Amino acid sequence: MSALAPTITLARRRFELTTRTPRELLVPLITPILFAAVIAPALKVALHTGTAYESFVATGTIGLLIPLNTMFSGLSVIVDRETGAQRELLAAPVPRALLPLGNLAVALLVTAFQVITLIAVAVARGIDFHTDAGGIAWFTSAAAAFAIGMYGVAETLASRIPKAEEYIARVPAIAIVPWFLAGSLFPINALPGFLTWFAKFLPLTHGLALVRYGLLRDSSGLHNIWSMSNTTAMAGLSLAVVVLFALALTAVSIRVFTRTALR
Amino acid sequence: MISVRRLTKTYPDGTEAVKAIDFDVGAGEVFGLLGPNGAGKSTTIGMLTTTIRPTGGTARLAGFDVAREPLAARSVSSVVFQEPVVDRSLTGRRNLELHARLWRVAAQEGEARIAELAAALGVERLLDRPVGSYSGGERRRLELARALVSRPQVLFLDEPTVGLDPRIRAELLDVVGELRNTTDLTILLTTHYLDEAEKLCDRLAIIHEGRIVALDTPAALLAGLGREIVELRVNGDPAGALASLRSHGIVDGDGFAVGSTLTLPLHDRSAADAVAAIDAAGIAASSISTRRPTLDDVYLRLTGGRLAEAA
Repeated sequence: MSALAPTITLARRRFELTTRTPRELLVPLITPILFAAVIAPALKVALHTGTAYESFVATGTIGLLIPLNTMFSGLSVIVDRETGAQRELLAAPVPRALLPLGNLAVALLVTAFQVITLIAVAVARGIDFHTDAGGIAWFTSAAAAFAIGMYGVAETLASRIPKAEEYIARVPAIAIVPWFLAGSLFPINALPGFLTWFAKFLPLTHGLALVRYGLLRDSSGLHNIWSMSNTTAMAGLSLAVVVLFALALTAVSIRVFTRTALR
Repeated sequence: MISVRRLTKTYPDGTEAVKAIDFDVGAGEVFGLLGPNGAGKSTTIGMLTTTIRPTGGTARLAGFDVAREPLAARSVSSVVFQEPVVDRSLTGRRNLELHARLWRVAAQEGEARIAELAAALGVERLLDRPVGSYSGGERRRLELARALVSRPQVLFLDEPTVGLDPRIRAELLDVVGELRNTTDLTILLTTHYLDEAEKLCDRLAIIHEGRIVALDTPAALLAGLGREIVELRVNGDPAGALASLRSHGIVDGDGFAVGSTLTLPLHDRSAADAVAAIDAAGIAASSISTRRPTLDDVYLRLTGGRLAEAA
């Protein structure tokens, strides 16, 4: 029997629960909007840079918003397990892998809403984006794949960590620290040599390079990673990295969930 | 309808929660697992509902092996858990609808069943309120309604009345009793309340430290202790007093001591004869009384601990 109907039911349930918790929608937006609309323009003035830097930081904040939002979404898995209906869902005649997939669908939807909000705020603040249909395709693919991978991280952690407090304590290390190393506020070449090398292995570095390639048609981030002359090839390689990250973490999250949910 | 063979659960830390238990439950039967907390009742239900992985043995629901055909086994069963397992921020109706959808009940049919069950279980007026605003009893009724929306062949009730006040507990027992009388639903319930087990169950398994130590109808279990028992509180050594009573032939092997209280099934002996014999044996008793045996006595005889104390 088709898995689509129960997946839609599970996703609808998660969506209804999420929309009844406004903090899940709004809190992850605060920091990135602050960066895009306030800090980036302030830095431009303070550092006497041009409009391009504002755009650079505004797109960079997408790399903060996605991990923050997906990690917040993961918190609801713990709430479900501790005080919600997770056991009822586990006793339902549906494959258990559909539970994290239903959650993922909603995390992706909420992330899309937040990224669009962030971009709208940035545009309203006068930040320039130079894109076209091809650019939007690169951006959308990269952002979606990165969000899927990050939700896999969140779901995996939520399955393994017993308490919400312990989970929240890990959020900065996972959602924020890599952001500083992944070329969000400055190119990775500005980092010390070993950190530049390390940054090239972060999926976020590839995701941000693709976001900028898509929204600003700026391929410097890709070049800093791959040092190749063919931009499309570099974009394809980075997208492959982010998609692999998404596939691997989704598989891990399903496996960990189904194993830990059963005692 | 339920067939359990040498079902075993040993946790990775070595804890043997369930030790090779066997039982069968017929279609339409209400079967109780009676025992204190930690006896293995909830672990057994967990294995039957496929939320706990057995480490040995087999279990079948309506012919479906819970380990090999878990989806089919889950599709014919529903469970009311010991703790509240609901989406509190959603309305009662949404909680019921979600169950109906996941158990593949058609939307229109689901609506009709929800209306019918809500009326039958007295939660009709609550349906459009968030479950977080329900009282404990209301939530339990909703969970029972939810479990029945899919018209399961097997219903698991895991300590369904724990934490409820006496009035709501009595009401809920009436509801389950009504289900027993009016449907052909097979019910497996766990409890440590004797009255609940006696009132609802066609047959009972007394489970102690992961093993089934007795399995029969409540009447047959009680009959094993005769029609009347003498209970006496002794001054001094109760074990010594019990041994003395045995040596005088006043009590058979089924007499037992818990603390300073001796419980002596009378079987064919009269109470007056027994009291006279106790007196003649020189047992110093601070109190002595006779009463009808209860399931608590059955449990005590088999396990050496009172259910209420152990629970």
